[in-house]
This record gives sequence, C-alpha cells and structure tokens, in this order.
Amino acid sequence: MKRRSFLKSTMAAGATGVAVGMGVLSPNMAFAEAHGKDPFKAKSVDDVLKMLGISDPATSDKIKIKAPEIAENGAVVPVGITSEIEGTTEIIIITANNPTPLAAKYTFGERAIPAIKSRFKMGKTTDVIALVKAGDKFYTAKANVKVTKGGCGG
Amino acid sequence: MAKSTIKLRTKDKKGKIQVKALITHPMETGLRKDKKGKVIPAHYINKVVVEANGKAVLNADWSGSISKNPFLSFKYTGSKDDTVKLSWEDNTGKSDSLEKKIGEK
Repeated sequence: MKRRSFLKSTMAAGATGVAVGMGVLSPNMAFAEAHGKDPFKAKSVDDVLKMLGISDPATSDKIKIKAPEIAENGAVVPVGITSEIEGTTEIIIITANNPTPLAAKYTFGERAIPAIKSRFKMGKTTDVIALVKAGDKFYTAKANVKVTKGGCGG
Repeated sequence: MAKSTIKLRTKDKKGKIQVKALITHPMETGLRKDKKGKVIPAHYINKVVVEANGKAVLNADWSGSISKNPFLSFKYTGSKDDTVKLSWEDNTGKSDSLEKKIGEK
C-alpha cells in the first residue's frame, strides 16, 4: 500500500501545474474545473460516475463502439466510438479495469460529427464503457476487450 | 523552433472535413517504473482543442490512459476553405499547436 500513497502524492503534485480552477462538482458543470475532485483521478467506475454526476445512464444501441475483441498489445488499443443519438455533445470513455478508469472526455462543437477514434492503453482485459451526453441525458454502451499483454506498468 | 510535435492531416469529403492528428508525446501515466525501480513521473496530455476558423469543434480531456504518441480522428461539417488549428497542453504545462488549411500537407 506504500506504493499507492506515493502515487497519489506524485499525481497530486503533477496536477497542480494544470489546475484550471476550483469548484464544486455539479452535474452540468465541466468537470475539468473541479480540481479537488478530479474524476480523472478516481479509482473506480462508480466513483467516476459519481464525480461526473451521472446516475443510471440508459443503455443505448445507438452508440457504436469499435474495439478489437482481443488486443495483443494493451499499450495501443484503437477504439472508435460513434453516437447516433441526436444532440450528442459529449462522449466519455471509461476503461473499467485501468487504475484510473476515466480515459477521455470529448466535447463536440456545433459542427462536429459525434464520432471519435483514438488509441488507448489498457492494463488488462477490460470493459470499455462509452457514455454519451445528449441534452441533459446520459446514455451508455460497453464492449469488452481482452488484453493479452498489458499496457500500464510493465 | 524544433519540429512540431503535431502531425495534422485534413481532408474535405463532400462537406465533411476529416481531421486526423498524431501527436508525439510520451504519455507517461505516473504508474510505470524505470529499471532502478523509481517511478517515472506522470507526463501526459490532458487537453486537446481543435478549432476550425477560430471556432472550437472538438475539446478533448485526456488522461494517462491514452496511448503513447496519441492519435485522434474525427469529422466535422465544414468547407474546404477552412483553417484547422490543433493545440494541446500537458500536465507539466507544456503545449504546442499547429494550424493548417484543409488538404495542406
């Protein structure tokens, strides 16, 4: 457990340089501002959802996750997420089994098409959870990626 | 200035502009250790902004869970005369940006 606390302190130190501002997290607030309760530092999926102010997102088949079933190299896993939900403004990607599950948040401008491709690290076999914000509502979908070689630590 | 850390390719596909970007960055999570067992400090991009003609089309908040030398691809509705600008910032306060016209290599 020594390692954990050490990590925490180093991460906290690293984060001071980018502190955007302080603020209490509320569901409609951009969470990047909530430095004190940064969801990017949350250790479990439940905590991430709590910090983002999301409860019971509806499962939707209009969210398409394109991810490999088996990833040989967890350091580089290409994932594509497309939302066909009208009025999509945000796509949040969570890799459930990573030490810090919240991987990325994309906020779309008016003209952007809500589809995104990126490459992720996955420490081990994990669920990839996509959360889509449209209007005030959140929708979710997930896919499982089996990782044969981890991408975190190592 | 040194060579840009950003590779940016844009393409007009019948009114939909495809933006592809590759950023050179170590993306250290802060969880890895070096050979001596010392933890390598976290060093990752946590903010990426893509603007078209000065207006943001995509804001990305990233964590260390994004792979090394991150790749990003998306589309937006625009015109072939647009100028696309991508900028990033990492957790140590470093940043870079690159601006290109659609289709410019």
